[in-house]
Amino acid sequence: MRRQTWLDEFALELAAREVARADIAGIVVEASGHLDETAAAPLEAFGAPAAYAELVADALGAQRVPPRVGEVRVAARGLHKRYRRHTVLDDVDLELHVGEAVLLMGRNGRGKSTLLRILAGLAKPDGGSVELHGSVGYAPQDGGLIDQLRPAEHFVLFGRARGLDRKAAIQQGRRLAEQLGWDALAAPVAGELSGGTRQKLNVVLAALGEPDVLLLDEPYQGLDLDSVQRFWELLWEWRDAGRCALVATHAHDAIERADAVLEL
Amino acid sequence: MAEIDQRPAWLRGVLDLCLLALLKDGEAYGYELARRLEDLGFGQVAGGSLYPALLRREKLGHLRAEWRAGEGGPGRKYYVLTETGRDALEREVVAWNAFAASVAAALGGVPA
Repeated sequence: MRRQTWLDEFALELAAREVARADIAGIVVEASGHLDETAAAPLEAFGAPAAYAELVADALGAQRVPPRVGEVRVAARGLHKRYRRHTVLDDVDLELHVGEAVLLMGRNGRGKSTLLRILAGLAKPDGGSVELHGSVGYAPQDGGLIDQLRPAEHFVLFGRARGLDRKAAIQQGRRLAEQLGWDALAAPVAGELSGGTRQKLNVVLAALGEPDVLLLDEPYQGLDLDSVQRFWELLWEWRDAGRCALVATHAHDAIERADAVLEL
Repeated sequence: MAEIDQRPAWLRGVLDLCLLALLKDGEAYGYELARRLEDLGFGQVAGGSLYPALLRREKLGHLRAEWRAGEGGPGRKYYVLTETGRDALEREVVAWNAFAASVAAALGGVPA
């Protein structure tokens, strides 16, 4: 394998393992310097890019602190849901604890959205029970926005429901949007936003008022890679602050970022 | 039967410790450390084990990294032993010496 090809692949493999961008640059430069000095072939000096990236990610993980998982926030037992003759949820159990970001996976039609709607209290199960301790924020997969209103007006409207006054709502909404790499106050009305930006707005609205439980339905459809990374950083901060989140997605790259996975 | 070089496998457990020790008297960059280990008789140290070991100790706060401009190149990463690293080195040397003594005791009866 040619030197540059190896280095490029190595950088990609590091990124795929959640190594911070700032770290990647240094690690790749160091490896490249090593190759220059030894005049060795990269495969001989380091092995395959993926295997070496795994070792490096492992070494970097030495300081990673596992999340502290605490008391139960959401407990669903034996949930059943039918639409006409079609069974959508069949005996589903779920527990969500303080300090957890849990992934809800499954192909389209397996009831991810239905489960989230039931947990959010928007739909009634045909059987089973939901126990909820704390406040809930919910971001639907689409819809939920008012096309004629600007993001800041959404903040005020949704913030009021969470007990935030106008100023606090705008401030908090703006800060959350910034964490997702989005300047919400400069944005046009919701109807003119791109799909990815609408998702960001939905996530921000769900998180307004810092509810104990975040329920997000396909929050990163249409987001670019940078935004996906920012989204997870926001979630990690969220759960480290003692809250929790349940994220429905069929994106497999999310598996390594979440603390647990529930497959429907 | 071809002789298998067992040094890489043996080194794996103590590479970190040796690196801390080599940095005791001053900073060095990765390749320099690899060469010094080789000179000490460890055989060739693959970059694939060297840099992750350095990175691990850097993350633990035992080593600090400093980037210096290289000649024409993009710069070199120098590793410096921190105070925490110095403490860790002292503790680990004691532990290693005890372990090495156990190995020596176990092998004691075997004629070399």
